[in-house]
Amino acid sequence: MANPSNRPIGKSGWGRTLGAAAVSIVYFFPVLYIILTAFKTRQDALAWPVKFIFTPTLENFVSVFYRTTVEGGAAEATGFGLYFFNSMFIGGTSVLLALIIGTAAAYGFSRFPLRGNETYLFMILTTRMMPPIIAIIPIFVLFRIFGLSGTYVGIIALYTAFNLPFSIWMVKSFFDDLDRDIEDAARMDGSSEFRLFRKICLPQVYAGLAATFVFAVILTWNEFVFALLLTGTQTRTVPVQIVRTIGGAIGVDWGLLSALETLFIIPVVLVTFALQNQLLRGVTFGTIRR
Amino acid sequence: MELTISGIAKRFGAVEALRGVTLAVQPGEFFAILGPSGAGKTTLLRIIAGIDKPDDGTVLIDRRDLSQIPVRSRNTAMVFQTFALYPHLSTFENLAYPLREARVPGDEIKRRVGEIAEMLRLTHTLARKPGTLSGGEQQRCAIGRALVRRPQLLLLDEPLTNLDAKLRHDTRAEFKRLHRELKTTTIVYATPDQLEALSMGARVGVLNHGKIVQVGTPSDLYEMPGDDFVASLVGDPPINLVPGTLRAGAGGPSIDMPFLGLDAAPWRKSLNGFPAGTRLKVGLRPQAIWPRGGSEKGPVFPARVFLTEPLGDVTILDIVVGGDTRLRMVLPQEQAYKIAVNDAIECSIDLEQVCLFTQDTGTAISRAGVEAAA
Repeated sequence: MANPSNRPIGKSGWGRTLGAAAVSIVYFFPVLYIILTAFKTRQDALAWPVKFIFTPTLENFVSVFYRTTVEGGAAEATGFGLYFFNSMFIGGTSVLLALIIGTAAAYGFSRFPLRGNETYLFMILTTRMMPPIIAIIPIFVLFRIFGLSGTYVGIIALYTAFNLPFSIWMVKSFFDDLDRDIEDAARMDGSSEFRLFRKICLPQVYAGLAATFVFAVILTWNEFVFALLLTGTQTRTVPVQIVRTIGGAIGVDWGLLSALETLFIIPVVLVTFALQNQLLRGVTFGTIRR
Repeated sequence: MELTISGIAKRFGAVEALRGVTLAVQPGEFFAILGPSGAGKTTLLRIIAGIDKPDDGTVLIDRRDLSQIPVRSRNTAMVFQTFALYPHLSTFENLAYPLREARVPGDEIKRRVGEIAEMLRLTHTLARKPGTLSGGEQQRCAIGRALVRRPQLLLLDEPLTNLDAKLRHDTRAEFKRLHRELKTTTIVYATPDQLEALSMGARVGVLNHGKIVQVGTPSDLYEMPGDDFVASLVGDPPINLVPGTLRAGAGGPSIDMPFLGLDAAPWRKSLNGFPAGTRLKVGLRPQAIWPRGGSEKGPVFPARVFLTEPLGDVTILDIVVGGDTRLRMVLPQEQAYKIAVNDAIECSIDLEQVCLFTQDTGTAISRAGVEAAA
């Protein structure tokens, strides 16, 4: 530890590495426990003390998709494939929509400020200041009146609206941080205002867009209350299905529940992993001078 | 391309960035704008470039009002102080960008970018992004992007500020060569560094607090500064400004400095209107002060050496005269080596290199036979 600042990255001492590993395990343990339980039989899942060495089984994953009802009889499809698709489709579409609309709005707020620009931005932010659940009754009534309950259009529109303020504020901060000289240079090079946006400004904030995308996906992927009240059997998302799986006549099936959750985690992990470099750049955007 | 600027004013809130700038730049001229930071150089260039609009005044390019010429046909390019390269594009695409915007066919883009890259020694960097280039390469890329359109007017905003000393020296020579090769391109070059301005500019305009205070050739500025600001900005080490008082005598006017009386005969004509007792500033170039050596061109005075700064070929001496007045002088090494700190020496002043300014406004007082360029 003579000169820690000169130590090459990735060459920390064993003490620190083990310390970091210990902290990571504490944080990661619940996830690990869920994944382990997903591969346990019903007996193993309920065993005490907790079994860490056991014969893994895939039966829980099979019952995610096909299982018999309590009364017995042939295994039936659970519709989980559809719910999984719903979660991805509704989440992906609404986040993308919010990102597209939000980026356009953010560029406008950043480059073509209106009279009272700050007021508009503040008003947009206020929609995130109260817990969304407060608006549940009017939204529920609205959905009834316009026949949006249980439709893709309804829930996608709602999630888009919820994601917009976050997208606008986040993306605006990325546009604000760009070097204006670069735009002046492009203007002198003969770029029109649209080309300036499309060819110069937008590519510079791709990392930021990716970061915004991931954050919004995680938020939306998790959303439960509105999904519970406003989706129907055809548009149900995974969080709702997970809750419906809890309980039942023979007690909680922990293995089945864990298998559901394990599958539920995978897309978010994949998205985050695929965009991790962008994510890091996006989060540190503007803090490190190029 | 001929550039005529008249009465340009620009304010940002309470700050008056430019206060009536008037300039005429000849076609093909290398014109330097010299001024300390905050003088308004960048604002002026941005207005000439057409990026910002002046609050008042006009910019004429070949006698046509800039605001009437569409951006595409302006034929003006600018190199920004920060280089302003497109960080997401490769060097090739950076250089190609102005051509793409002008809808030049692909083959020609390839050829012209190739030429420019060759000329600026950027060929090996074409596939790389600006972030991976060295400072010098980034700077050449910025210049290349400006030149690739073959502009008639090239605006350079402190292009050397972000480079290290060695590179700065090389690039100064590069700019002069470039200007010669481009032949018809008019260059306006803004810099806070008098060395850059004097070594490159055919003419130099000195900008201070948003106003042009003097326009002239480098030797004009050095030998006949229009005021004490120009005098202290131009020349290295900076000029000594010593307070003096005008005295009327039987043999004509003279100037009393704390350590020396100076015969004011060369300025007699211009000093006619000034009453005796007028406070003046006397400008003594460090290069105009010499140790006594037998062939004096002016008066002699005693001094004590306070500090020596050997720079290799020359040495800068700080001397104390007349009690507590400090002066700087520059000596070639072969004369300076025998002078040590605290030595008592005798110095003389080359009267022909002395400048005179009024105390209050700092305006130069011209010598007989010389019209001050202002």
